[in-house]
Amino acid sequence: MTEKDRTYRFLNPVGIQLPVKTFPLAPRLDKLDGKEIWFSITGEPDITIPFEKRLKNDYPNVNWRIKKTYGPVQVPLSDEEMKTADAVIQGVCW
Amino acid sequence: MWGQLPYIAELEKAGIPTVLIDLADQEEMVKQEALVNGMPNVRFIHASRTLAGPIDVDRLIGPTIDGLLRPLTDKEKETGLYNPGQPRVIFEGTLEEADVFFSQTRHVPKPLDAPISIYTDGLPVRLPTEERVKEMLKGTSHRPDEMVTYQSDRHIMFGEEVKKGDLVRFQPLKWTATVEKVATIAVMAGCKPEHLPVVLAVAESGVPTGTTVYANLWSVVSGPIVKEIGMNAGLGMLGPGNPANSAIGRAYQLMAVNLGGAIPGINRMSSIGSPVNRAGLCFAEDADGLPPGWKGLNEEHGYRKDENAVMVLWTEGGMDGAQFSPGGYRALQKSGHGGIARRLGVKGKPGPHNFLDFILPGIWAGGREGPRTFIIVHEMAQHLYEMGFKTKDAVYEYIWKKGLEPLSEYRKRSWVDLTTNGWLGIDRQSGKPWKELPDDHMVSVAGDAPNENCIIVCGSDEEVCVQMTGGPRGGILGLHPIYSIDAWR
Repeated sequence: MTEKDRTYRFLNPVGIQLPVKTFPLAPRLDKLDGKEIWFSITGEPDITIPFEKRLKNDYPNVNWRIKKTYGPVQVPLSDEEMKTADAVIQGVCW
Repeated sequence: MWGQLPYIAELEKAGIPTVLIDLADQEEMVKQEALVNGMPNVRFIHASRTLAGPIDVDRLIGPTIDGLLRPLTDKEKETGLYNPGQPRVIFEGTLEEADVFFSQTRHVPKPLDAPISIYTDGLPVRLPTEERVKEMLKGTSHRPDEMVTYQSDRHIMFGEEVKKGDLVRFQPLKWTATVEKVATIAVMAGCKPEHLPVVLAVAESGVPTGTTVYANLWSVVSGPIVKEIGMNAGLGMLGPGNPANSAIGRAYQLMAVNLGGAIPGINRMSSIGSPVNRAGLCFAEDADGLPPGWKGLNEEHGYRKDENAVMVLWTEGGMDGAQFSPGGYRALQKSGHGGIARRLGVKGKPGPHNFLDFILPGIWAGGREGPRTFIIVHEMAQHLYEMGFKTKDAVYEYIWKKGLEPLSEYRKRSWVDLTTNGWLGIDRQSGKPWKELPDDHMVSVAGDAPNENCIIVCGSDEEVCVQMTGGPRGGILGLHPIYSIDAWR
Protein backbone atom coordinates (compact mmCIF):
# COMPACT_ATOMS: atom_id res chain seq x y z
CA MET A 1 0.00 0.00 0.00
CA THR A 2 1.36 3.42 -0.92
CA GLU A 3 1.28 6.37 1.46
CA LYS A 4 -1.45 7.85 -0.73
CA ASP A 5 -3.67 4.84 -0.10
CA ARG A 6 -3.07 4.65 3.62
CA THR A 7 -6.21 5.21 5.65
CA TYR A 8 -6.46 7.11 8.90
CA ARG A 9 -8.99 7.74 11.63
CA PHE A 10 -9.89 11.40 11.97
CA LEU A 11 -11.19 12.61 15.32
CA ASN A 12 -14.44 14.47 15.69
CA PRO A 13 -14.07 18.18 16.48
CA VAL A 14 -17.80 18.79 16.96
CA GLY A 15 -18.99 19.76 20.45
CA ILE A 16 -21.09 17.47 22.59
CA GLN A 17 -24.80 18.09 22.82
CA LEU A 18 -25.85 16.81 26.21
CA PRO A 19 -29.08 14.76 25.97
CA VAL A 20 -32.21 16.88 26.26
CA LYS A 21 -35.64 15.65 27.18
CA THR A 22 -38.19 17.32 24.96
CA PHE A 23 -41.52 18.18 26.51
CA PRO A 24 -44.97 19.25 25.34
CA LEU A 25 -45.93 22.88 25.24
CA ALA A 26 -48.28 24.10 27.94
CA PRO A 27 -52.00 23.88 27.11
CA ARG A 28 -53.28 27.05 25.46
CA LEU A 29 -55.87 29.38 26.92
CA ASP A 30 -59.57 28.68 26.39
CA LYS A 31 -60.34 32.41 26.37
CA LEU A 32 -58.65 35.73 27.01
CA ASP A 33 -61.15 37.55 29.17
CA GLY A 34 -60.19 37.65 32.82
CA LYS A 35 -56.76 36.16 32.22
CA GLU A 36 -53.52 37.53 33.62
CA ILE A 37 -51.17 37.82 30.66
CA TRP A 38 -47.67 39.20 30.89
CA PHE A 39 -46.07 41.13 28.07
CA SER A 40 -42.36 40.73 28.65
CA ILE A 41 -40.27 43.13 26.64
CA THR A 42 -36.60 43.14 25.86
CA GLY A 43 -35.31 45.46 23.22
CA GLU A 44 -36.72 47.75 20.64
CA PRO A 45 -39.33 50.24 21.84
CA ASP A 46 -40.26 50.99 18.25
CA ILE A 47 -42.25 47.76 18.21
CA THR A 48 -42.95 47.11 21.85
CA ILE A 49 -44.51 50.47 22.77
CA PRO A 50 -47.29 50.31 20.12
CA PHE A 51 -47.70 46.60 20.81
CA GLU A 52 -48.41 47.24 24.48
CA LYS A 53 -50.92 49.96 23.58
CA ARG A 54 -52.73 47.74 21.09
CA LEU A 55 -52.95 44.81 23.47
CA LYS A 56 -54.49 46.95 26.18
CA ASN A 57 -56.81 48.69 23.75
CA ASP A 58 -57.98 45.65 21.76
CA TYR A 59 -58.27 43.27 24.71
CA PRO A 60 -59.44 45.42 27.63
CA ASN A 61 -60.78 42.48 29.60
CA VAL A 62 -57.37 40.93 29.96
CA ASN A 63 -55.38 41.76 33.06
CA TRP A 64 -52.26 42.89 31.20
CA ARG A 65 -49.05 42.91 33.19
CA ILE A 66 -45.74 44.23 31.89
CA LYS A 67 -42.10 43.31 32.40
CA LYS A 68 -39.85 45.74 30.63
CA THR A 69 -36.15 46.15 30.02
CA TYR A 70 -34.21 47.89 27.32
CA GLY A 71 -31.46 45.36 27.93
CA PRO A 72 -31.17 42.05 26.11
CA VAL A 73 -32.04 39.76 29.01
CA GLN A 74 -35.66 39.57 30.10
CA VAL A 75 -36.86 40.42 33.59
CA PRO A 76 -38.25 37.06 34.70
CA LEU A 77 -41.48 36.51 36.56
CA SER A 78 -40.97 35.93 40.25
CA ASP A 79 -42.12 32.68 41.82
CA GLU A 80 -45.13 34.52 43.20
CA GLU A 81 -45.98 36.03 39.81
CA MET A 82 -45.71 32.64 38.14
CA LYS A 83 -48.40 31.30 40.48
CA THR A 84 -51.02 33.63 38.99
CA ALA A 85 -49.70 34.12 35.43
CA ASP A 86 -51.92 32.62 32.73
CA ALA A 87 -49.65 33.34 29.76
CA VAL A 88 -46.55 35.23 28.64
CA ILE A 89 -45.82 37.05 25.40
CA GLN A 90 -42.06 37.39 25.15
CA GLY A 91 -41.14 40.20 22.79
CA VAL A 92 -37.47 39.99 21.99
CA CYS A 93 -37.05 42.09 18.87
CA TRP A 94 -33.37 42.45 19.48
CA MET B 1 -31.28 35.78 21.69
CA TRP B 2 -29.98 36.18 25.21
CA GLY B 3 -31.34 33.40 27.37
CA GLN B 4 -34.94 33.83 26.28
CA LEU B 5 -35.37 30.18 25.28
CA PRO B 6 -34.31 28.70 28.63
CA TYR B 7 -36.74 31.14 30.26
CA ILE B 8 -39.56 30.25 27.90
CA ALA B 9 -38.84 26.56 28.53
CA GLU B 10 -39.17 27.18 32.25
CA LEU B 11 -42.53 28.89 31.74
CA GLU B 12 -43.92 26.21 29.42
CA LYS B 13 -42.83 23.47 31.82
CA ALA B 14 -44.66 25.32 34.58
CA GLY B 15 -47.85 25.21 32.49
CA ILE B 16 -47.72 28.84 31.35
CA PRO B 17 -48.30 29.12 27.60
CA THR B 18 -45.99 31.47 25.74
CA VAL B 19 -45.52 33.13 22.40
CA LEU B 20 -42.12 34.39 21.33
CA ILE B 21 -41.74 37.42 19.06
CA ASP B 22 -38.39 37.95 17.40
CA LEU B 23 -37.03 39.26 14.14
CA ALA B 24 -37.73 37.08 11.12
CA ASP B 25 -34.08 36.42 10.32
CA GLN B 26 -33.60 34.83 13.75
CA GLU B 27 -35.83 31.89 12.74
CA GLU B 28 -33.09 29.26 12.49
CA MET B 29 -31.45 30.37 15.70
CA VAL B 30 -34.77 30.20 17.52
CA LYS B 31 -35.38 26.70 16.17
CA GLN B 32 -31.94 25.50 17.27
CA GLU B 33 -32.12 27.06 20.71
CA ALA B 34 -35.66 25.84 21.23
CA LEU B 35 -34.59 22.30 20.41
CA VAL B 36 -31.62 22.27 22.78
CA ASN B 37 -33.91 23.65 25.47
CA GLY B 38 -36.34 20.78 25.00
CA MET B 39 -39.21 22.46 23.15
CA PRO B 40 -38.72 22.03 19.43
CA ASN B 41 -42.19 23.40 18.70
CA VAL B 42 -42.03 26.75 20.44
CA ARG B 43 -44.56 29.20 19.02
CA PHE B 44 -42.61 31.95 17.30
CA ILE B 45 -43.88 35.07 15.54
CA HIS B 46 -41.70 37.06 13.15
CA ALA B 47 -41.23 40.78 13.67
CA SER B 48 -39.93 43.00 10.92
CA ARG B 49 -36.64 44.87 10.84
CA THR B 50 -38.01 47.53 8.52
CA LEU B 51 -41.72 48.17 9.10
CA ALA B 52 -42.58 51.03 11.43
CA GLY B 53 -43.65 49.76 14.83
CA PRO B 54 -47.42 50.49 14.64
CA ILE B 55 -47.66 48.95 11.15
CA ASP B 56 -45.72 45.88 12.26
CA VAL B 57 -47.97 45.53 15.29
CA ASP B 58 -51.05 45.50 13.00
CA ARG B 59 -49.48 42.46 11.38
CA LEU B 60 -48.26 40.76 14.57
CA ILE B 61 -51.13 41.10 16.97
CA GLY B 62 -53.47 38.54 15.40
CA PRO B 63 -50.91 35.71 15.18
CA THR B 64 -49.70 36.50 18.70
CA ILE B 65 -53.13 36.13 20.24
CA ASP B 66 -53.74 33.08 18.08
CA GLY B 67 -50.54 31.57 19.50
CA LEU B 68 -52.01 31.79 22.97
CA LEU B 69 -55.45 30.43 22.06
CA ARG B 70 -55.00 27.86 19.28
CA PRO B 71 -55.12 24.34 20.81
CA LEU B 72 -51.94 22.30 20.68
CA THR B 73 -51.36 19.96 17.78
CA ASP B 74 -50.36 16.35 18.40
CA LYS B 75 -46.79 17.28 17.52
CA GLU B 76 -46.74 20.05 20.07
CA LYS B 77 -47.85 17.56 22.72
CA GLU B 78 -45.01 15.13 22.05
CA THR B 79 -42.32 14.19 24.53
CA GLY B 80 -39.02 12.61 23.62
CA LEU B 81 -35.27 12.67 23.91
CA TYR B 82 -32.95 14.74 21.75
CA ASN B 83 -29.66 12.94 21.85
CA PRO B 84 -27.66 13.25 18.65
CA GLY B 85 -24.88 10.71 18.36
CA GLN B 86 -21.32 11.74 18.97
CA PRO B 87 -18.81 9.31 17.49
CA ARG B 88 -15.23 9.93 18.61
CA VAL B 89 -14.02 9.22 15.08
CA ILE B 90 -15.84 11.33 12.52
CA PHE B 91 -14.23 9.94 9.36
CA GLU B 92 -11.99 7.12 8.19
CA GLY B 93 -10.18 7.25 4.89
CA THR B 94 -7.16 8.55 3.05
CA LEU B 95 -5.77 12.02 3.55
CA GLU B 96 -7.15 13.03 0.19
CA GLU B 97 -10.62 11.76 1.09
CA ALA B 98 -10.43 13.49 4.46
CA ASP B 99 -9.54 16.75 2.76
CA VAL B 100 -12.81 16.49 0.89
CA PHE B 101 -14.72 15.53 4.04
CA PHE B 102 -13.43 18.42 6.15
CA SER B 103 -13.95 20.87 3.28
CA GLN B 104 -17.70 20.23 3.10
CA THR B 105 -20.01 23.21 2.97
CA ARG B 106 -23.70 23.77 3.50
CA HIS B 107 -25.77 26.37 1.70
CA VAL B 108 -27.07 28.93 4.16
CA PRO B 109 -30.18 30.67 2.87
CA LYS B 110 -30.88 34.39 2.92
CA PRO B 111 -29.95 36.72 4.49
CA LEU B 112 -26.63 35.03 3.68
CA ASP B 113 -27.33 32.92 0.56
CA ALA B 114 -23.90 31.31 0.03
CA PRO B 115 -21.99 28.16 0.98
CA ILE B 116 -20.53 28.08 4.50
CA SER B 117 -17.99 25.53 5.70
CA ILE B 118 -19.28 22.92 8.12
CA TYR B 119 -16.05 22.18 10.01
CA THR B 120 -13.69 25.01 9.14
CA ASP B 121 -13.37 28.76 8.86
CA GLY B 122 -13.54 28.44 5.10
CA LEU B 123 -9.94 27.40 4.52
CA PRO B 124 -8.45 23.90 4.47
CA VAL B 125 -7.26 22.61 7.83
CA ARG B 126 -4.47 20.38 9.03
CA LEU B 127 -6.26 17.05 9.17
CA PRO B 128 -6.86 15.76 12.71
CA THR B 129 -5.63 12.19 12.52
CA GLU B 130 -5.73 10.19 15.72
CA GLU B 131 -1.92 10.21 15.79
CA ARG B 132 -1.64 13.97 15.41
CA VAL B 133 -4.19 14.56 18.17
CA LYS B 134 -2.33 12.16 20.45
CA GLU B 135 0.83 14.14 19.82
CA MET B 136 -0.98 17.41 20.47
CA LEU B 137 -2.21 16.11 23.83
CA LYS B 138 1.40 15.94 25.02
CA GLY B 139 1.04 19.70 25.48
CA THR B 140 -1.16 19.29 28.56
CA SER B 141 -1.31 17.11 31.66
CA HIS B 142 -5.10 17.03 31.45
CA ARG B 143 -6.67 13.72 30.40
CA PRO B 144 -8.10 13.50 26.88
CA ASP B 145 -11.53 12.51 28.19
CA GLU B 146 -11.66 15.27 30.78
CA MET B 147 -14.48 17.71 30.15
CA VAL B 148 -13.49 21.35 29.66
CA THR B 149 -14.51 23.09 32.87
CA TYR B 150 -13.93 26.45 34.48
CA GLN B 151 -10.65 26.50 36.34
CA SER B 152 -11.76 29.23 38.74
CA ASP B 153 -14.94 30.84 40.06
CA ARG B 154 -15.90 33.71 37.78
CA HIS B 155 -18.62 35.74 36.14
CA ILE B 156 -19.49 35.07 32.54
CA MET B 157 -22.07 36.63 30.23
CA PHE B 158 -24.32 39.24 31.85
CA GLY B 159 -22.84 38.59 35.26
CA GLU B 160 -23.85 34.92 35.40
CA GLU B 161 -21.81 33.22 38.12
CA VAL B 162 -20.00 29.97 37.45
CA LYS B 163 -17.93 27.89 39.83
CA LYS B 164 -14.64 26.11 39.37
CA GLY B 165 -15.44 22.72 37.91
CA ASP B 166 -18.64 23.80 36.13
CA LEU B 167 -18.86 22.67 32.54
CA VAL B 168 -17.95 25.29 29.95
CA ARG B 169 -20.89 25.67 27.56
CA PHE B 170 -19.69 26.80 24.18
CA GLN B 171 -21.60 29.54 22.41
CA PRO B 172 -24.08 29.73 20.80
CA LEU B 173 -25.50 26.19 21.13
CA LYS B 174 -24.15 25.57 24.61
CA TRP B 175 -22.38 22.39 23.60
CA THR B 176 -19.65 20.93 25.79
CA ALA B 177 -16.24 19.51 24.94
CA THR B 178 -13.49 17.20 26.12
CA VAL B 179 -9.84 18.16 26.23
CA GLU B 180 -9.37 15.82 23.27
CA LYS B 181 -11.82 17.81 21.17
CA VAL B 182 -9.93 21.02 21.88
CA ALA B 183 -6.71 19.21 20.95
CA THR B 184 -8.38 18.02 17.75
CA ILE B 185 -9.21 21.60 16.86
CA ALA B 186 -5.71 22.74 17.82
CA VAL B 187 -4.40 20.28 15.22
CA MET B 188 -6.84 21.62 12.64
CA ALA B 189 -5.69 25.19 13.37
CA GLY B 190 -2.04 24.30 12.89
CA CYS B 191 -1.03 24.52 16.55
CA LYS B 192 1.93 22.78 18.12
CA PRO B 193 1.62 20.87 21.42
CA GLU B 194 3.18 23.75 23.36
CA HIS B 195 0.32 25.99 22.20
CA LEU B 196 -2.35 23.69 23.63
CA PRO B 197 -2.51 25.18 27.16
CA VAL B 198 -3.21 28.58 25.59
CA VAL B 199 -5.90 27.11 23.36
CA LEU B 200 -7.48 25.33 26.34
CA ALA B 201 -7.46 28.59 28.30
CA VAL B 202 -9.15 30.32 25.36
CA ALA B 203 -11.66 27.44 25.26
CA GLU B 204 -12.54 28.23 28.88
CA SER B 205 -14.04 31.49 27.59
CA GLY B 206 -16.73 29.49 25.78
CA VAL B 207 -15.64 31.28 22.57
CA PRO B 208 -18.58 33.69 22.21
CA THR B 209 -19.34 34.87 18.71
CA GLY B 210 -20.98 38.23 19.33
CA THR B 211 -24.36 39.59 18.37
CA THR B 212 -25.94 41.07 15.28
CA VAL B 213 -23.62 44.06 15.30
CA TYR B 214 -19.86 44.44 14.79
CA ALA B 215 -18.09 42.09 17.16
CA ASN B 216 -14.34 41.56 17.18
CA LEU B 217 -13.25 38.39 18.94
CA TRP B 218 -9.60 38.27 19.83
CA SER B 219 -7.14 37.26 22.50
CA VAL B 220 -3.85 38.46 23.90
CA VAL B 221 -1.35 36.38 25.86
CA SER B 222 0.55 37.74 28.87
CA GLY B 223 3.41 36.12 30.77
CA PRO B 224 6.66 34.24 30.20
CA ILE B 225 4.94 31.71 27.93
CA VAL B 226 4.99 34.37 25.21
CA LYS B 227 8.71 33.76 24.73
CA GLU B 228 8.56 30.05 25.55
CA ILE B 229 6.29 29.28 22.63
CA GLY B 230 7.66 31.91 20.28
CA MET B 231 4.72 34.29 20.08
CA ASN B 232 5.16 37.61 18.35
CA ALA B 233 4.80 40.60 20.67
CA GLY B 234 6.89 42.80 18.42
CA LEU B 235 6.57 44.27 14.96
CA GLY B 236 3.38 43.31 13.16
CA MET B 237 2.01 41.21 16.01
CA LEU B 238 -1.57 41.88 14.82
CA GLY B 239 -0.65 40.76 11.32
CA PRO B 240 0.41 37.53 9.61
CA GLY B 241 3.55 35.45 9.81
CA ASN B 242 3.99 34.12 13.32
CA PRO B 243 2.93 30.45 13.63
CA ALA B 244 1.87 30.67 17.29
CA ASN B 245 -0.14 33.90 16.98
CA SER B 246 -1.82 32.70 13.80
CA ALA B 247 -2.60 29.16 14.93
CA ILE B 248 -3.93 30.12 18.36
CA GLY B 249 -6.05 32.88 16.83
CA ARG B 250 -7.41 30.47 14.28
CA ALA B 251 -8.18 27.91 16.97
CA TYR B 252 -10.66 30.36 18.53
CA GLN B 253 -12.66 30.53 15.33
CA LEU B 254 -12.50 26.79 14.71
CA MET B 255 -13.74 26.21 18.26
CA ALA B 256 -16.62 28.61 17.64
CA VAL B 257 -17.55 26.64 14.52
CA ASN B 258 -17.16 23.16 15.97
CA LEU B 259 -17.63 23.40 19.72
CA GLY B 260 -20.18 26.18 19.69
CA GLY B 261 -22.01 25.23 16.52
CA ALA B 262 -21.72 28.82 15.28
CA ILE B 263 -22.96 29.20 11.72
CA PRO B 264 -23.06 32.58 9.98
CA GLY B 265 -26.59 33.35 8.88
CA ILE B 266 -28.09 30.78 11.25
CA ASN B 267 -26.98 31.62 14.75
CA ARG B 268 -24.03 33.91 14.17
CA MET B 269 -25.74 37.00 12.94
CA SER B 270 -23.14 39.76 12.80
CA SER B 271 -24.60 41.77 9.96
CA ILE B 272 -21.39 42.51 8.05
CA GLY B 273 -19.03 40.32 10.03
CA SER B 274 -15.57 41.39 11.09
CA PRO B 275 -12.22 40.78 9.40
CA VAL B 276 -10.79 40.12 12.87
CA ASN B 277 -12.88 36.95 12.99
CA ARG B 278 -12.16 35.62 9.52
CA ALA B 279 -8.98 33.79 10.47
CA GLY B 280 -8.88 34.69 14.15
CA LEU B 281 -6.65 37.09 16.01
CA CYS B 282 -4.27 36.33 18.85
CA PHE B 283 -1.16 38.25 19.78
CA ALA B 284 1.10 38.75 22.76
CA GLU B 285 1.99 41.45 25.24
CA ASP B 286 5.57 42.75 25.23
CA ALA B 287 6.33 42.61 28.94
CA ASP B 288 9.87 43.92 28.31
CA GLY B 289 8.39 47.04 26.72
CA LEU B 290 6.48 48.10 29.83
CA PRO B 291 7.82 51.23 31.55
CA PRO B 292 9.03 50.80 35.13
CA GLY B 293 6.13 50.18 37.51
CA TRP B 294 3.59 49.47 34.80
CA LYS B 295 1.87 46.13 35.28
CA GLY B 296 1.42 43.57 32.57
CA LEU B 297 -2.06 42.24 31.82
CA ASN B 298 -1.40 39.21 34.04
CA GLU B 299 -0.60 41.35 37.09
CA GLU B 300 -3.41 43.80 36.37
CA HIS B 301 -5.87 40.93 36.57
CA GLY B 302 -4.69 39.15 39.68
CA TYR B 303 -1.94 36.90 38.42
CA ARG B 304 1.75 37.11 39.23
CA LYS B 305 4.30 38.42 36.77
CA ASP B 306 5.63 34.91 36.29
CA GLU B 307 2.17 33.46 35.69
CA ASN B 308 0.61 33.10 32.28
CA ALA B 309 -2.82 34.29 31.32
CA VAL B 310 -4.82 34.97 28.19
CA MET B 311 -7.34 37.75 27.88
CA VAL B 312 -10.20 36.83 25.55
CA LEU B 313 -11.94 39.93 24.32
CA TRP B 314 -15.28 40.50 22.71
CA THR B 315 -15.14 44.13 21.64
CA GLU B 316 -18.19 45.47 19.86
CA GLY B 317 -17.94 48.64 17.85
CA GLY B 318 -14.84 48.37 15.79
CA MET B 319 -11.23 49.37 15.82
CA ASP B 320 -9.51 52.58 14.96
CA GLY B 321 -5.87 53.34 14.35
CA ALA B 322 -4.10 56.55 15.27
CA GLN B 323 -1.88 56.29 12.21
CA PHE B 324 0.45 59.22 12.77
CA SER B 325 2.14 60.39 9.59
CA PRO B 326 5.62 58.96 9.05
CA GLY B 327 7.76 60.90 11.45
CA GLY B 328 4.83 62.95 12.66
CA TYR B 329 4.82 61.49 16.14
CA ARG B 330 8.61 61.77 16.39
CA ALA B 331 8.48 65.39 15.24
CA LEU B 332 6.12 66.07 18.13
CA GLN B 333 8.22 64.37 20.75
CA LYS B 334 11.72 65.33 19.56
CA SER B 335 11.26 68.99 18.76
CA GLY B 336 7.60 69.98 18.97
CA HIS B 337 7.13 70.27 15.23
CA GLY B 338 4.27 69.31 12.96
CA GLY B 339 0.50 69.18 13.08
CA ILE B 340 0.22 67.33 16.35
CA ALA B 341 2.39 69.91 18.08
CA ARG B 342 0.24 72.68 16.60
CA ARG B 343 -2.92 70.97 17.88
CA LEU B 344 -1.42 70.54 21.33
CA GLY B 345 -0.01 74.06 21.47
CA VAL B 346 3.54 72.89 22.08
CA LYS B 347 5.14 74.10 18.86
CA GLY B 348 8.90 74.32 19.19
CA LYS B 349 8.96 72.65 22.61
CA PRO B 350 10.76 69.29 22.86
CA GLY B 351 8.80 66.43 24.42
CA PRO B 352 7.70 64.39 26.10
CA HIS B 353 4.19 65.43 25.16
CA ASN B 354 0.97 63.60 25.92
CA PHE B 355 -0.18 62.06 22.65
CA LEU B 356 -3.46 61.08 24.31
CA ASP B 357 -4.44 64.73 24.12
CA PHE B 358 -4.26 64.42 20.35
CA ILE B 359 -6.64 61.47 20.09
CA LEU B 360 -8.96 62.18 23.02
CA PRO B 361 -11.84 62.86 23.18
CA GLY B 362 -12.09 62.51 19.39
CA ILE B 363 -12.16 58.71 19.49
CA TRP B 364 -15.63 58.87 20.99
CA ALA B 365 -16.92 61.39 18.43
CA GLY B 366 -17.72 59.11 15.55
CA GLY B 367 -17.87 55.69 17.16
CA ARG B 368 -19.83 54.45 20.08
CA GLU B 369 -19.23 55.46 23.63
CA GLY B 370 -17.56 53.17 26.13
CA PRO B 371 -14.12 52.13 27.28
CA ARG B 372 -11.29 51.49 24.86
CA THR B 373 -8.41 49.07 24.66
CA PHE B 374 -5.32 50.97 23.51
CA ILE B 375 -2.66 48.89 21.82
CA ILE B 376 0.46 51.03 21.90
CA VAL B 377 4.16 50.58 21.21
CA HIS B 378 6.76 50.71 23.99
CA GLU B 379 8.06 54.16 23.05
CA MET B 380 4.63 55.72 23.43
CA ALA B 381 4.17 54.00 26.80
CA GLN B 382 7.56 55.37 27.83
CA HIS B 383 6.50 58.90 26.85
CA LEU B 384 3.43 58.60 29.05
CA TYR B 385 5.66 57.39 31.87
CA GLU B 386 7.95 60.38 31.39
CA MET B 387 4.91 62.65 31.42
CA GLY B 388 4.27 61.49 34.97
CA PHE B 389 2.02 58.47 34.50
CA LYS B 390 3.85 56.07 36.77
CA THR B 391 1.15 53.38 36.55
CA LYS B 392 -1.38 52.24 33.98
CA ASP B 393 -4.10 53.14 36.47
CA ALA B 394 -2.99 56.77 36.29
CA VAL B 395 -3.42 56.66 32.51
CA TYR B 396 -6.84 55.00 32.84
CA GLU B 397 -7.92 57.79 35.19
CA TYR B 398 -6.72 60.39 32.69
CA ILE B 399 -8.54 58.74 29.79
CA TRP B 400 -11.71 58.45 31.83
CA LYS B 401 -11.66 62.12 32.80
CA LYS B 402 -11.07 63.11 29.18
CA GLY B 403 -14.34 61.36 28.45
CA LEU B 404 -16.44 63.52 30.74
CA GLU B 405 -19.31 65.37 29.05
CA PRO B 406 -22.67 66.81 30.15
CA LEU B 407 -25.59 64.45 30.39
CA SER B 408 -27.38 66.57 27.77
CA GLU B 409 -24.74 65.43 25.25
CA TYR B 410 -24.43 61.91 26.61
CA ARG B 411 -28.14 61.33 25.90
CA LYS B 412 -27.42 61.65 22.16
CA ARG B 413 -25.04 58.72 22.02
CA SER B 414 -25.53 55.34 20.42
CA TRP B 415 -25.87 52.68 23.12
CA VAL B 416 -27.13 54.77 25.99
CA ASP B 417 -30.76 53.67 25.82
CA LEU B 418 -29.53 50.13 26.30
CA THR B 419 -26.89 50.74 28.95
CA THR B 420 -29.16 52.99 31.02
CA ASN B 421 -32.11 50.58 30.64
CA GLY B 422 -34.10 53.26 28.88
CA TRP B 423 -32.97 55.79 31.53
CA LEU B 424 -34.91 53.80 34.10
CA GLY B 425 -31.72 52.53 35.72
CA ILE B 426 -29.05 53.86 38.04
CA ASP B 427 -26.01 55.76 36.79
CA ARG B 428 -23.20 53.51 37.95
CA GLN B 429 -20.79 56.44 38.03
CA SER B 430 -22.76 58.61 40.46
CA GLY B 431 -24.94 55.92 42.02
CA LYS B 432 -28.04 58.04 41.34
CA PRO B 433 -31.10 57.32 39.15
CA TRP B 434 -30.60 58.69 35.66
CA LYS B 435 -33.94 60.49 35.77
CA GLU B 436 -32.83 62.56 38.78
CA LEU B 437 -29.66 63.86 37.16
CA PRO B 438 -29.60 67.39 35.69
CA ASP B 439 -28.55 68.14 32.12
CA ASP B 440 -25.20 69.52 33.25
CA HIS B 441 -24.30 66.41 35.25
CA MET B 442 -20.99 65.15 33.92
CA VAL B 443 -20.81 61.58 32.66
CA SER B 444 -17.71 59.86 31.30
CA VAL B 445 -18.14 58.21 27.93
CA ALA B 446 -15.05 56.11 28.72
CA GLY B 447 -16.79 53.43 30.75
CA ASP B 448 -18.33 53.25 34.19
CA ALA B 449 -14.92 53.19 35.84
CA PRO B 450 -11.42 54.21 34.70
CA ASN B 451 -10.04 50.68 34.77
CA GLU B 452 -12.61 49.46 32.26
CA ASN B 453 -10.11 50.90 29.79
CA CYS B 454 -7.06 48.86 28.92
CA ILE B 455 -3.54 49.41 27.64
CA ILE B 456 -1.57 46.68 25.93
CA VAL B 457 2.07 47.38 25.14
CA CYS B 458 3.47 45.55 22.14
CA GLY B 459 4.59 46.20 18.59
CA SER B 460 7.75 47.74 17.24
CA ASP B 461 9.50 51.12 17.04
CA GLU B 462 7.24 52.92 14.56
CA GLU B 463 4.82 54.94 16.67
CA VAL B 464 1.35 53.56 16.03
CA CYS B 465 -1.61 53.18 18.32
CA VAL B 466 -4.74 51.09 17.75
CA GLN B 467 -7.90 51.51 19.77
CA MET B 468 -10.39 48.69 20.04
CA THR B 469 -13.87 49.59 21.24
CA GLY B 470 -14.43 47.94 24.58
CA GLY B 471 -12.32 46.67 27.41
CA PRO B 472 -11.83 43.72 29.71
CA ARG B 473 -13.90 44.72 32.69
CA GLY B 474 -17.51 45.30 33.58
CA GLY B 475 -19.84 46.83 31.06
CA ILE B 476 -23.25 45.43 30.26
CA LEU B 477 -21.72 42.09 29.35
CA GLY B 478 -20.37 41.78 32.89
CA LEU B 479 -17.26 40.00 31.73
CA HIS B 480 -13.84 39.61 33.29
CA PRO B 481 -12.38 37.50 30.55
CA ILE B 482 -8.83 36.64 31.58
CA TYR B 483 -7.99 32.97 31.99
CA SER B 484 -5.07 31.11 33.50
CA ILE B 485 -2.92 29.30 30.97
CA ASP B 486 -0.94 27.54 33.68
CA ALA B 487 -4.12 25.79 34.87
CA TRP B 488 -4.13 24.01 31.52
CA ARG B 489 -0.47 23.00 31.41
